Amino acid sequence: MAAVPETIVFVAAPPRQGLWSKAFHKFCRDRAGLVGLWVVLLYAIVALGVWLGFWAGDWADVTGPKWGPVSAQHWFGTNLIGQDIFARALYSTRTAFELGLVVAVLSTFVGAVFGAFAGFFSGGWIDELVLWFMGVIDSIPFYLLVAAIAFSLGDSPYAMYIAMIATFWVGTSRLVRGEVIKLKEFEFVEAAHAIGLSELAIIFRHILPNTFHILLVQATITFVAAIKSEVILSFLGIGIQDGMSWGLMIAESTIEVLAGFFNNFIAASLLMFGLVMAFNMFSDALQDALDPRSVR
Amino acid sequence: MWRLIAIVTLSALLLACSASDDAGNNKADIKDQKVFRYAMSGSPTSLDPVQSGNVYANVIVSNVFDTLYNYKYLARPPELKPGLAEAMPEVSDDGLVYTIPLKQGVLFADDPAFPDGKGREVTAEDFVYSIKRHFDPAARPQGAWLWQDRIKGLDEWKAAGSDYSVDVEGVRALDRYTVRIELTRPYPQLLYTLAMGFSAVVPVEAVEAYGREFGIRPVGSGAFRLESFNTAKAVLVPNSNYRDEPFSLSAEGYDPATQAYTRVAELEGLSPPFLDRLEIDFIQEGSALWSSFTKGNEVQMASLPDEQVKFVLDSTRPVILKPEFAAKYQLATGPEAGFVYSNFNLDFPEMGYNPDPERNARNKALRCAVIRSFDWPARNDSFYMGLGQVFPGVIPPGVPEFDEEMPRDSVTRDVVYAKQLLADNGWTADNLPTLVYGTVAGVKSRLFFEQFRAFLKDIGYPSEKVVLKRYATFGDIVRAWSRSELPFVSKGWGLDYPDAENTLQLFYGPNASPGSNDANYANPKYDALFEQAATMAPSDERTAIYRRMNQMLVDDCVAVTGLTRMRITLWHNNVIAVPDSSIVGGGFLRYVDVD
Repeated sequence: MAAVPETIVFVAAPPRQGLWSKAFHKFCRDRAGLVGLWVVLLYAIVALGVWLGFWAGDWADVTGPKWGPVSAQHWFGTNLIGQDIFARALYSTRTAFELGLVVAVLSTFVGAVFGAFAGFFSGGWIDELVLWFMGVIDSIPFYLLVAAIAFSLGDSPYAMYIAMIATFWVGTSRLVRGEVIKLKEFEFVEAAHAIGLSELAIIFRHILPNTFHILLVQATITFVAAIKSEVILSFLGIGIQDGMSWGLMIAESTIEVLAGFFNNFIAASLLMFGLVMAFNMFSDALQDALDPRSVR
Repeated sequence: MWRLIAIVTLSALLLACSASDDAGNNKADIKDQKVFRYAMSGSPTSLDPVQSGNVYANVIVSNVFDTLYNYKYLARPPELKPGLAEAMPEVSDDGLVYTIPLKQGVLFADDPAFPDGKGREVTAEDFVYSIKRHFDPAARPQGAWLWQDRIKGLDEWKAAGSDYSVDVEGVRALDRYTVRIELTRPYPQLLYTLAMGFSAVVPVEAVEAYGREFGIRPVGSGAFRLESFNTAKAVLVPNSNYRDEPFSLSAEGYDPATQAYTRVAELEGLSPPFLDRLEIDFIQEGSALWSSFTKGNEVQMASLPDEQVKFVLDSTRPVILKPEFAAKYQLATGPEAGFVYSNFNLDFPEMGYNPDPERNARNKALRCAVIRSFDWPARNDSFYMGLGQVFPGVIPPGVPEFDEEMPRDSVTRDVVYAKQLLADNGWTADNLPTLVYGTVAGVKSRLFFEQFRAFLKDIGYPSEKVVLKRYATFGDIVRAWSRSELPFVSKGWGLDYPDAENTLQLFYGPNASPGSNDANYANPKYDALFEQAATMAPSDERTAIYRRMNQMLVDDCVAVTGLTRMRITLWHNNVIAVPDSSIVGGGFLRYVDVD
């Protein structure tokens, strides 16, 4: 047995950090991102409480006088027909979360699938077709397209959801396509080819999981975009039909601000501002954390 | 190359200079003119009298065309006076034959449709032609219901193919200036129909020359001529051929006690129209219209929006302007000629007529409970400044047959009674039917719905069973009503004439969908009374019949009714005007003057 000099010290190699654990640590160091996350979670709890019927169940009831002032009973006063504005604003949080989640998840999914196919078969007819389709959707002004889809679907309560999913997937798809074009040249994909995996298996089992960091960031961006779009569409009268939303409250305020009554406007704007701001901070932090080039 | 560029640039500069010079001249011209800018909350789709089914079209039609009769400008309540007619008609003793002399020398406005572009004289044949058009499907008419089955031979003429060369027994030109109308049965409202835009007189030459474009290029013999028309604005200028008819305060029903402040007395003896230019803007948003009105140099007359009341008025009962507004604006108030209400569509077996007698009775109890849940004072306060007049039944305060003594149970909220009614008839939250509430997309309409749903919740009607159905446009929802697609119809009705027959016909069986009876109310006793009263001249006996019919509607719980809105109209101090009471609106515009 060979003697080992005393001067040689065996140092344990630092544990290898994966993308996700690195991102987690980076995210935890981002204060603004953490604040954003907590605020978003608070909104989520409010939305969940509305959904479970813990609060804001009386959003549609007439509980006070016309344009009642701020009081202990009505924290934001009452509207034209005497409904509690605070309850309506809280209920709208649920609407925003429902819409944001559904649109973010589905449009990200659609964008990922189309983007992956286009990227994997780049240069081929599938890529051409997907690119052409994305170009067509991109060439139509967004709100015009959403309004057209919402109108063509008539009074379906899901018209706005469908309209947004049909337009929001394009951005995600473009990003995923670019990432897949890069990934498909990597050795692990070549290896997968070499062992005879089918193309579908390669796309869904090996390539797409490597785009999850992009999808996550895109989903948060889409979430915010969906909430903002809903507000604009509801304001224009082609958004939420049955229910309440911040957009509808702001639309309501158009007949109230001239009378010097701003409660609907302030309540909806504040709550929407809080959520959108928090989500943006969270989304930025997440993007930084998941960006391999980021050195923070 | 450089020379070419220089020439092009120079030409463009010269063109721009001359264009701006033209525009400057135009502006200067208009500045020297008497211009009145009026606004309406909607735009007409056609200005052809046969298609003037809505108030917006009627405002323009009544100024571009002539009708045989008009409403007196200043008389309140409204009274008819001869328009194109020389005098009130001679009516036969049996009330079936009307002989109407026409004014001589009345000319259509000059238009390229006439030989040499000169408007020719209006004759009795023109009136006959204009009425016939309502029975010609090719003209896509909307007003045939006024004379259907009432004027001899018209329906047969239509059935035979609407051949204009064939005479109709019931509407004839006895000579160049005399019209004779023969009825199948007495029709006391006939004269009112001859004051509506539907009966306006059109020249055959223009109708044939322009075809469907006649709807946007109307040619008539009214006080004004249409200069331009699009979806945002209509511009009218005086018809240079308009007859000289000096304005007479006594003939127009002037009341110095209530109207002296408007300065209309200054117009005595002058011949209308007094304006050089009448601009009518179509502004849907009340707040936008108000902004334009208060700007000072735009719209000169506007209704006061609800949200401005506390800034503009010192008091609402009586309506008094704050001093700073009183210094700038004139004011007129008065109830609208019409009302707002909702009716059940009895075609729907869930809440209407049901083949099962027991369910039928339960449905009636359900409707009655819904009616008693409705809080009219709250509706009035929320949307009508609390100034609307709530009344039971469908005979509104604007007609002479209105009954102030009618019991007010149907407009008095009683939640306990309504709940009891539901319980007694076996209605529970589980078995109550879904009530679909249709409305046009819009903030206020949505709040109407939400308030109604909240009223129903108070009597135990689950909110998830009161469902909103949105329609993009008013036209869409009107189509849904006429196709009997909605179980609950919420709307307003503007009177075509000051006679309760005009509202009672809304529930007359033969007028069922697609007619005006979108409640599809079918009550043989009601129909028999309607037919009996239809041939009667105004009298106490007829009023009694009207009131019995009104009570039937209340007893059968057919409609949640009703409220007549208060109109508060303001106009700039430099305008001499008295806004009309909205029956056949727009007639007052020919008498408007501007300092």
